[in-house]
Amino acid sequence: MRLLILCIVATVSWADPVQILTKRCLSCHNPSSKMGNLSLASRPDAERVLSGRLMERIEKGQMPPGGGLPAEERDELKAWLASGAPWQGTLSLRVKANRNWWSLQPIQSKGTSIDQYIEVALQAKGLKLSPPVDRRTLIRRVTFDLTGLPPTPTEIDAFLADPARDSYEKLIDRLLASPAYGERWGRHWLDVIRYGESHGYEQNHVRPNAWPFRDYVIGAFNRDLPFNRFMTEQVAGDALDPAVDVATGFLVAGPHDTVGNSNLAATRQQRADDLDDIVNATASSFLGLTVNCARCHDHKFDPIEQADYYRVAAIMNGVNHGERAIASPTDKAKRDELAGPVERQIKSAREKIEALTAQIKEQRVSAEAALKSRYRSPVSPFGTEENFEPIFATKIRISAPLSFPGGLDEIEAFTPAGLNIAASATIKVSSTRIADGNPDAYHQRHLNDGSFDKRWFPEGNGPAFITIEFAKLTSIQKVAWSTDRVRAFQGKFQQNTVSSYKLEISPDDQNWTTIATGESRLPHRPLELDRLVTIEALSLQDRDDFVATEQSIKDLEAALKKIPALPLAYAGNFKQPAEAVYLLKGGNVMQRGEAIIPASLSTLAESPIASFSVTLEAPEKERRLKFAQWLADDKNPLTPRVIANRIWHYHFGRGIVATPSDFGYNGERPTHPELLDYLAQRLIANGWKMKPLHREILLSKAYRQSSAHIPEAAKIDADSRLLWRFPPQRLDAESLRDSMLFVSGKLNSQIGGPSFRLYKYTVDNVATYFPMDKFGPETYRRSVYAESARSIRTELLSVFDCPDSSLPEPRRVSTVSPLQALSLLNHSFTTDMAEAFGNQSIETAFLRAFGRPPDPGEVFESSALIRKHGFTAFVRALFNANEFLYVY
Amino acid sequence: MSTNRRCFLTGLGAIAYGDLLTGATRQPHFTPKAKRVIQIFCPGGASHLDTFDYKPELEKRSGQPMPGGDKDVTFQGANGNLMRSPWDFKPAGQSGKPITTKLPHLAKYVDDMAFIHSMSSRSNTHGPACVAMNTGFVFEGFPSAGAWLSFALGSENENLPAYVALPDIRGIPPSGPANWTSGFLPAEHQGVAFNAADPIRNLDRPSGISANTDQATRDFAQFLNTEHAARHPGDSDLQARIASYSLAARMQLSAPEVANLNAESKATLDLYGANSTNPLVAAYAKNCILARRLVERGVRYVQLYCASRASGVDGLLNWDAHKTLKSDYERHLPILDQPTAGLIADLDARGLLKDTLVLWTTEFGRMPTHQEGTLGRDHNPDAYTVWMLGAGVKKAASWGITDDFGRRVVENPTTVYDFWATVLHLLGLDHEKLTWYHNGLNRRLTDVHGHVIKSLLA
Repeated sequence: MRLLILCIVATVSWADPVQILTKRCLSCHNPSSKMGNLSLASRPDAERVLSGRLMERIEKGQMPPGGGLPAEERDELKAWLASGAPWQGTLSLRVKANRNWWSLQPIQSKGTSIDQYIEVALQAKGLKLSPPVDRRTLIRRVTFDLTGLPPTPTEIDAFLADPARDSYEKLIDRLLASPAYGERWGRHWLDVIRYGESHGYEQNHVRPNAWPFRDYVIGAFNRDLPFNRFMTEQVAGDALDPAVDVATGFLVAGPHDTVGNSNLAATRQQRADDLDDIVNATASSFLGLTVNCARCHDHKFDPIEQADYYRVAAIMNGVNHGERAIASPTDKAKRDELAGPVERQIKSAREKIEALTAQIKEQRVSAEAALKSRYRSPVSPFGTEENFEPIFATKIRISAPLSFPGGLDEIEAFTPAGLNIAASATIKVSSTRIADGNPDAYHQRHLNDGSFDKRWFPEGNGPAFITIEFAKLTSIQKVAWSTDRVRAFQGKFQQNTVSSYKLEISPDDQNWTTIATGESRLPHRPLELDRLVTIEALSLQDRDDFVATEQSIKDLEAALKKIPALPLAYAGNFKQPAEAVYLLKGGNVMQRGEAIIPASLSTLAESPIASFSVTLEAPEKERRLKFAQWLADDKNPLTPRVIANRIWHYHFGRGIVATPSDFGYNGERPTHPELLDYLAQRLIANGWKMKPLHREILLSKAYRQSSAHIPEAAKIDADSRLLWRFPPQRLDAESLRDSMLFVSGKLNSQIGGPSFRLYKYTVDNVATYFPMDKFGPETYRRSVYAESARSIRTELLSVFDCPDSSLPEPRRVSTVSPLQALSLLNHSFTTDMAEAFGNQSIETAFLRAFGRPPDPGEVFESSALIRKHGFTAFVRALFNANEFLYVY
Repeated sequence: MSTNRRCFLTGLGAIAYGDLLTGATRQPHFTPKAKRVIQIFCPGGASHLDTFDYKPELEKRSGQPMPGGDKDVTFQGANGNLMRSPWDFKPAGQSGKPITTKLPHLAKYVDDMAFIHSMSSRSNTHGPACVAMNTGFVFEGFPSAGAWLSFALGSENENLPAYVALPDIRGIPPSGPANWTSGFLPAEHQGVAFNAADPIRNLDRPSGISANTDQATRDFAQFLNTEHAARHPGDSDLQARIASYSLAARMQLSAPEVANLNAESKATLDLYGANSTNPLVAAYAKNCILARRLVERGVRYVQLYCASRASGVDGLLNWDAHKTLKSDYERHLPILDQPTAGLIADLDARGLLKDTLVLWTTEFGRMPTHQEGTLGRDHNPDAYTVWMLGAGVKKAASWGITDDFGRRVVENPTTVYDFWATVLHLLGLDHEKLTWYHNGLNRRLTDVHGHVIKSLLA
């Protein structure tokens, strides 16, 4: 059942029709996926199914989808079927990795040090560790590594001058204690878990309250929160302690489609995709498993059943996207104390309104009739007219104190002869709303273009007016306007049109006569009409009471607004699911199989860790908590290995497993399996704290060795996968940008809080992000605090391979391109930073930018450049130099 | 190929620096018919029923309920009766293929087009559907077709990006840059977005810095880099980065040249409609000319947009005619028509069609019915039309058929994977072999699907 790749045992010659079936059909019609409830895996199955409707569809070219079979293959299948479907072989099933796969075995290591493993592996290839790196290079390496920033000249001097034997240990401890450590390593984790600050998909609106989770992550690293606890909080923090509720932002850190959909399949698909994102993020981040590959069928390479995917989905079935108030019980209680009484008063006032309304139920019909006799007919979005005695005018003005809700698709002015003369008149408006990038969208021209498809909108919700001006005195008898003359809009939009207005006419622009107002009309919105009917039906005394109560609700609501709201955060919103998760055949939301019980993965069924399952109806919180505990179990073979490998990956630029989120068959094999186990054991031995593990790695000879290139060694191991040298690394995008700010003395080291923007953000139904030519001082903070909208290119960051948070990014690529050169040379940020650097000595500039003093040749060339072109040109060049970007 | 190119994930690998840069040309799997691609994209869901998929039965039964369609609840809700196109269809070309009379210029080229009438989409929402058309996945973060081709074949002109996206003057399409992203492929394969009105970003030296100072600054950086590289022999990344600055300098010269249309003759401008009094026609026409100039200079892949994202008013900025189909398409069809026809004619006249592939695409089709209470059509992900034309493409061909009303596909259903498998095939690439490892899989443009549509090959 869990095995998918099918082939014929080698003793049998590959009968062509069988090959055709294997190649063309089995990926969908296998015993596990059974698309269309068909499997072609065995001869009897294949013969039975093909003799039925399937062969017809194959002949019509409808199967397989996307053009059917080539004619010759079609004929071959037909002939084969006609000859009784000879199929001599037996089918055997094969999976590439089974439960004996290396990463699923218990962790075991007998070693005593990191270097022991490294040296053994090197010796086996005739290689050895390089000599220790010089101290100047070492402090630059380790400072960038732990903080994402370069060391200051003072820090370098202090380290070089420190005679203590443990000066390097002290340096590591200082850096690990620096808040910049969490900013750097928190960012790594945000990559892994696809944290983004917009919804993604089409609308892609910003999530303004996503950042508390980002601050939580940074804080967790800085506090050295044990990783097993960190993991548990992210999956089920709400079940642990209100203080770590915000950690569940992990679950919903991915994209979420906010476009509503009326179609059932599409709605189900949106939910299934939300769950898919959560399943994928959880399994890949913590377990290093590509469980998402089992969405449509059993995993083709790893022992992950299709049901396993849906088991995790069932665990997460109560998780929903959204913002909510996140606060400690004390803060909640404090606010309740203030807001509670007001809320209760509002409630009782509303009840009073309801009681008064109920009391006159019988009188509504007559009251409405009375109103209709006194008021004029309501305005309509489909068309409103004001008719009056002919009057001479050069100007007509319609003004609206509360703007023109819904806009206007046309305004017309008629002569007594019934001729609309607005088309030839001059129209002036108070303002026009500009849709970004498209000044034409709501243009005033739409008001008198004789067409009802597009509308004019004024800016904002305040007073607005339209003036129609004629060249000469003209007799007017009727003015008409509409928001939706062709009745294109439905539902709530139908009620949108201007109802509060004043129509005035002037013969000379001096004397204005009010012709009509909206006040004499019945309200056109049903709720407002209902209210008026109620008031009409009430006794005089109750009427006063009613109006006074309404006013008191308004006052109370205003008072409520003044009580500070609880802080919001984008975090998991939890609801007991209304329906179970079903296994979806072929991943198709309209092809539901059985309901799936929330449970641990069968993948680890044979490992020492105990499996668990809960009932279909189990409280959703319990599901997540159990799952988190299963993840965080010391005996789980995957989680400690996966996080230990990530730590190694970021220190050396490459993991012991080079695919940090894939410990399966398609991932790479560990270069040092025993070392990986050693690190995992050390992590657990240290109570899952990460800082001691950093320390141990940074103190190893492997980390402290030189990065000098050795041609002989490179011939054997070009990429230094065995670590015969420390692998040099290019700065990642954030470190590059942060370093420019830092060496220029402009970096604002404020920790946490709302994000700043490196793009211009606008919303007109969908969000649009415009690149910026100039960054203000509000952006001079560390890049981890830059709002990370999904799928958006950000100046400087994106071109240097900063991921756009659409997908988890466990391993950034490091590319070289001319566009990087263009950005770094020409964006104003570089010149701004170069200018901010100010006139310093050449020596200081080299020390700050490269961590070393210049040699005489460099001083000579630098002075020549500065003399002729100024200090800014010099610093701009330093920022573009390789030495600024590379760490050795 | 994929394993080789995984190397530089490690940082300073030992591969030749030329391979790190866009400039390198790489070999296809087999002899290609096409060397480069212009992909036109009409965002918003361009209606097949008002362009290229003629349905006589729809005209006949307009105003009547659609048989079997009474329970159709689509993207925005319920649907009304069948609604014929506001315009007649007329046989065009020698093949007599009926297309809308509202595209008179394109009608002249139907004999060159190979239509696929049986496309369907996995999403009925613009953003995911656009991204699905361009990357094969409804989720964002996967490489677009142009990025795959940049990765597979490199550029024929190292002074220009291998992959250029030309967004419409009205704005970027739904889901924006996710349509030309390199996804998890290296950033160098990203589509570089600019157009005739908006140049490549950061191309010009900073204002206030003279050409002399700029050059001296670069020379000094070069001096530092040369010294630095000498101290670090064997690290090819450093050489690559030095070379990237020369490439950038050449791009600074080439890119303004390619975007400068002043050298185009009046006849050419008129052919495309670049002098049209309709500013939107003129703007799209200029982008069409720019597309030609780019492929002429060896750019591998040009993605050319005709319309943009959604706005507060459906159908205003793009092909999303929910409420007022007639007036929306009276605006959009003429924008598409002459400039696109001009592009085809010009490519042909210059001999470029021999090895250039032109694709016309959109994210999904529209309903044969009108949306309840409106005179527009809702989204129809179950059927839409695309076409291809040029190098290696069969002339006057049609593939796939929709039902009598164009509601659903009834013959030769085709996926975006089949479409891209066919495009890759024309470029000499086996879609199953063009892969990149990411998060557990050797990823492909065609996911685990895709069949080359042989009937459309010349």
